[in-house]
Amino acid sequence: MGGLLFNAAFGFYVVGLFHSGIAFLSKKDLFVRVALYSVAAGFVFHSGFLIYQGIEKAFFPMIGLRESLAFFAWTVTLCFLIAQFRYRVRAMGLFLLPLVAASMLSTVFIKASPIPDILRSSWVYFHTTFLFLAYGMFFVTFLAAIFYLLQERELKRKKPRTFYYQLPSLSALDHLFFNFLIWGFVFMTAGIVVGIIWAEQDWVKGWHSDPKVIATMSTWVIYLVLIYLRVTAGWRGRRAAFLSLIGFLSILFTFLGVSFLGGQHSF
Amino acid sequence: MDLVLVGLNHKTAPIEIREKVAFHEEALPLALKSLVREFGFDEAMIVSTCNRVELLASGTNNGAPVDGRLREFLCRYHTLDASVLKDHLYTYSNEELVHHVFRVASSLDSMILGEAQILGQLKQAYSCAEDSGAIGQRLGRLIPHAFFVAKRVRHETKVGHSAVSISSVAVELAVKIFGELAGRTVLLLGAGKMGELAARSLLASGASRIRVANRTFERAREVAAKFGGEVADFSRLEDEFVVSDIVIVSTGSKDFVVRKEHVDRAIHRRKYNPLFIVDIAVPRNVEPAVNAIETAFCYDIDDLQAVVDANLEERLVEAELAESIIREEVHNFSLGDQHRNVGAVVGSFRQTLEQICLEELSKVRDSFPETEYRKLEQMMLRTAHRIAHPFMVEIKKGEQPTTAEAAALIKRIFRLKDSE
Repeated sequence: MGGLLFNAAFGFYVVGLFHSGIAFLSKKDLFVRVALYSVAAGFVFHSGFLIYQGIEKAFFPMIGLRESLAFFAWTVTLCFLIAQFRYRVRAMGLFLLPLVAASMLSTVFIKASPIPDILRSSWVYFHTTFLFLAYGMFFVTFLAAIFYLLQERELKRKKPRTFYYQLPSLSALDHLFFNFLIWGFVFMTAGIVVGIIWAEQDWVKGWHSDPKVIATMSTWVIYLVLIYLRVTAGWRGRRAAFLSLIGFLSILFTFLGVSFLGGQHSF
Repeated sequence: MDLVLVGLNHKTAPIEIREKVAFHEEALPLALKSLVREFGFDEAMIVSTCNRVELLASGTNNGAPVDGRLREFLCRYHTLDASVLKDHLYTYSNEELVHHVFRVASSLDSMILGEAQILGQLKQAYSCAEDSGAIGQRLGRLIPHAFFVAKRVRHETKVGHSAVSISSVAVELAVKIFGELAGRTVLLLGAGKMGELAARSLLASGASRIRVANRTFERAREVAAKFGGEVADFSRLEDEFVVSDIVIVSTGSKDFVVRKEHVDRAIHRRKYNPLFIVDIAVPRNVEPAVNAIETAFCYDIDDLQAVVDANLEERLVEAELAESIIREEVHNFSLGDQHRNVGAVVGSFRQTLEQICLEELSKVRDSFPETEYRKLEQMMLRTAHRIAHPFMVEIKKGEQPTTAEAAALIKRIFRLKDSE
């Protein structure tokens, strides 16, 4: 049953990705719609899969790399759907869905890890959900910045080609960028606060020197700086894209890299 | 389908010829009546725009070829010699005609590919012909289908989407930068005609405010009054660039009016909110280096023209998509035609069978009392239907050519008359 739901979700995502590609090449609105609806269908199955797993294990399924990747794919898809329904960025699917598909696919090759006792706490629900939502939103932020750059470049060069026709206005991309940046930051902050409270309560001391905590805090600072520069100095376009790239790389490092450095978060 | 189309357009005839055969709008009803009454066509329609004149008609009483009669009408109506038009006229019939009409309605045959006017003109021509009682079964099916195809093309392709004139490109670019224009301020520098035109299209597309600056204050006030805008200070351009979003420059100056340092400082004060500058003046009024400033976009008249060209090319790509939609619809349309023919055969086959039964029965009418006779009549009809039934099923289910052939065969065997 779980496998069936997973396969259905993955299948729909792949169909969505495929149609996003065709939509990008053929410029037909029909394909954009097909892509959107198949991703939405995939999302429903994906949610079903997560719920089923949660019930089966009697625990929120996002412990270990395997489950957290599946959950990460879910939050990214959620962000995609929000961004798509709200801003209609046609090119989004083509750039975002590969990440979703890759995350889903990679879970097949990773063995599930047992649940450490320390994580048997309801804090984990909030801590990880908030942080993962933040990561998904920051990824959209990063894509929005890239799209802004592409659209700006074609407008500057005065030679409308692909992106001029495919992407929404600079102003819409800027709104997408800023809204997802702010919400991502809010969720990240909430996730960190929950983590700190939890660590103070349950953990052995020395949590502040945990590699993942340090990496997360650096990421948080990067995004804080980005917001600050955006609000006060109006950083957008190239500069914003650059910073959000660093931010997202920092997230990837936090998410994947630090697991190998040991510490409390290495499961 | 015995509709015939005779006509000429911008590709086959120069303006000197086109203007000679154009029909005045007020003269159309009379011309249509003459086609129906004097020339004896069952149906007729005249499409006359500045780029094309086309006559559509079907069926003459005297059996003369329709296209010849249409040419004759065209020459006689405009008192032209047949030799004048000979090389410019084209004739379409059958599927080619359907294809042509669909392309015209979808604006694929237009001078400016994808322009929206032709559909309106076609609708007008149709309703005029309808009012004159010149629309029958054939045109009444073809032309509304053409409208439907045009709608499909407009919805499913972007052939009419992008802007293809200087001022509409200015609007399109502004929309690409700012999204909604509501809440945006336009600054009009100078008072050139083109500048006013562009400002007008921006306001029509939703821009909220307009400010006008000119070297002479009086002139600025005049133009501002015309647009319902405010007068801006020509000597303090930097401040103006801070409060405006779209700047249209068309002064008569021989020198740069907008310089890099103006925009540089203004952009900084705008917190890098984009500024869109359209330089319509020739010679140029905006220093080209302005475009290098972050979040400032400066387009001169050549740049705008380049976007027009790119958009036209984009329309060409979309047009191919549209052509495939049209091919599909031509197929559907002629399929519908065949289905209608098959349906007609099916109907008249049944009728013929019924007739035979009733005829035979009536020969023995006197041998039965009335009530018995009615029962027999019912029985015979049911028998006729049962015999007809398998034929119908076979005809209706079959693939196209076979079905059409089968229908033709039955028609021939039973000597069925055409019924429509």
